[in-house]
Amino acid sequence: MLEAKNLTKRFGATAALDSINLRVDPGEMYCLLGANGAGKTTLINVFLNFLVPDGGEARINGLDVTRHGIETKRLVAYIPEQVMLYGVLTGLENLSYFAELATGRKSPDDELVALLSDVGLDRTASSRRVSTYSKGMRQKVGIAIAMAKKARALLLDEPTSGLDPKAASEFSDLLRRAREDGVAILTTTHDLFHAKQTGTHIGIMKRGSLVANFSSETLSHTDLEALYLQHMQA
Amino acid sequence: MVTTIARKDLQLLFRDGRLPWAGGVVLVLLATALLVGWERRAEISTERAAAQLLDYDDWVAQPERHPHNAAHQGMHVFKPDPALSVLDPGIDPYVGSTIWLRAHLQSELTFMPAQDATGLQRFGELSPAWVLQILGPLLVIVLGFDAFSSERELGTLRQTLSLGITSRQLFLGKALGQAMAVGVLLGPAAVIAALATFAGSGAAIGDIAARLGWLFLGYSLYVAAAVFIVLAVSAIVRSSRLALVALLGIWIATTLLAPRAASDLSRVWYPSPTRLAFNAALGADMGHVAEEVWQENFGLSTQWSPELPLDKWGLALQVDDHAGYGVMDRHFAELWDTFAAQQRAQEWLGLVAPVLAVRAFSMGVAATDFSHYRDFSLAAERHRRVLQDVVSADLVKNADPRGTGHFDYRAGTDLWQHVPPFQYTPPSVAWAVGHTMRSFGVLLATLLASLAAALFAVSARRAA
Ligand SMILES: Nc1ncnc2c1ncn2[C@@H]1O[C@H](COP(=O)(O)OP(=O)(O)OP(=O)(O)O)[C@@H](O)[C@H]1O
Ligand SMILES: [Mg+2]
Repeated sequence: MLEAKNLTKRFGATAALDSINLRVDPGEMYCLLGANGAGKTTLINVFLNFLVPDGGEARINGLDVTRHGIETKRLVAYIPEQVMLYGVLTGLENLSYFAELATGRKSPDDELVALLSDVGLDRTASSRRVSTYSKGMRQKVGIAIAMAKKARALLLDEPTSGLDPKAASEFSDLLRRAREDGVAILTTTHDLFHAKQTGTHIGIMKRGSLVANFSSETLSHTDLEALYLQHMQA
Repeated sequence: MVTTIARKDLQLLFRDGRLPWAGGVVLVLLATALLVGWERRAEISTERAAAQLLDYDDWVAQPERHPHNAAHQGMHVFKPDPALSVLDPGIDPYVGSTIWLRAHLQSELTFMPAQDATGLQRFGELSPAWVLQILGPLLVIVLGFDAFSSERELGTLRQTLSLGITSRQLFLGKALGQAMAVGVLLGPAAVIAALATFAGSGAAIGDIAARLGWLFLGYSLYVAAAVFIVLAVSAIVRSSRLALVALLGIWIATTLLAPRAASDLSRVWYPSPTRLAFNAALGADMGHVAEEVWQENFGLSTQWSPELPLDKWGLALQVDDHAGYGVMDRHFAELWDTFAAQQRAQEWLGLVAPVLAVRAFSMGVAATDFSHYRDFSLAAERHRRVLQDVVSADLVKNADPRGTGHFDYRAGTDLWQHVPPFQYTPPSVAWAVGHTMRSFGVLLATLLASLAAALFAVSARRAA
């Protein structure tokens, strides 16, 4: 579903992506770990065709994202690290707008309210203007937008940043269900625990390269932590 | 997609208070301008109709007198106030609307038609046309300067594009949103303006409706071009603040400064004589021609020489008048052609400053522009010649045969009634529109160019 082949992206002298190869099939959740500046967001941006790669290719459902930017974006849902919304509109109005753009049809409000409460925003909160929201609350609206799109693949860039532990764990449940429904998920995270718990595959990035890539069943939490730190120090 | 985006933009403009505020100000101005225009017209048109009647009555009611004295009294004729002058008084306030028809002199309304009185000069007489032409683009700027840049600054542009929306869809949505915002504000104003135009006017409904339709089309092109230019700048400039500064700069340059420059340029390209020079040249030519015809017809070397036998006095008047007609026609045609050429040059400059094109188009359709002024002046002059011809034919027939008793001759009401009242039918809509096709074309070209610029700007910008 999501596939990177020898993907390379340079900013001046720094190689943000250095010949990355990875593949996420339906029903899989690939968690990308890595220090700040390792290139995780860059990878997501290339998949969204916000950045044009210098070498290699990224494919979604077999389509090259550079040549089929619009079609491939319609196949995925994306949650950024900082969900950006219209402050003068309410959470519900934001969701209603972006969901309509994503699906091409207007969803009934009660459906959207239900979706928002699924991600942990109650009715009173969702009818307030977004300018009064905390970062976590905005994040929840972003998650609802992605869910409303009912995409076959998810591109998540630290989606749980700013979420309280309860909301983060509820989000993990949502992801697990989506994965079990055959959705392919590529997510970046700094949360080793959740990566191990919900991911099927884990990759570690370092200065643009994928330095480790394994199935999460093959190692325990403590092994993962040790492995990660070992890569970071090397 | 496109309508979804448009509706959301409209909602944002309502929520952040811009639409109510900016719109309110423009609406109040438009309403005031409309009231001013309406009142002005109400005053003028009844006064004029009455004055013209009175004046003709005065002519007919003259006592028995020598016809040439009557011709010196002459009569006044009034340019009918076009229905749409409420919306666009055009050059009417500058040229006046009364012409005194009398012996010997072709009179123009005013020497300089001042069609190009510039934005600031026209500030004094607030008209709906002025509000639309000058403040319309400002309104579009206030509503749209951050249409793209704010989305980029907020980060919502990324969110939107990540959903698979193309930048072209986004552009069309924004353009439609702006159009809806302007429409929400100006739509009701347009309806009120239309009603006000119908209400105070005796003109045919079909004629007014057609003119209003054309006016609506012209201003729509103008506002749409403004929307595209604003969106183009908003898409290409880094920040909202920069976009606002750039757009205000463009507005000042193209709507406030350019008209002044265009009027100066057009005078450099097509110099028009001063009134003094014009009169001198006309006088000299009239003199030459007179010399010729006086020599030829009466064997006299000077005009109105005392040696002219009185039994030829009426004939001399006829011959002298007719000799002058050609000269006057030539000089006035040349002068007016120069004004027309200046006007054309300014309309072409509308490609750089669209306000010039819409201004010309608007007053053309409203029947308050130079070409209408010229048409009326020609009609008035034709009537003056009818008056002169009636008088001198009567002199030839009845006074000349009296020989030395020529000036004892008196004519009465019968003769005065021979001169019909002045009846002027203003040019039709088709004529008016035909005369504004150049500025209409310029507006259309501006619209297409600004659309192309906007599309280019939008596609030139990547998301992140
Ligand atoms: N637009 C850009 N211009 C120049 N350099 C960039 C740009 N975007 C990213 N970089 C560089 O590319 C490298 C990778 O950045 P990236 O944002 O992908 O890291 P990341 O793994 O997402 O980090 P974090 O964990 O902090 O989110 C960094 O060195 C960063 O400075
Ligand atoms: Mg990042």
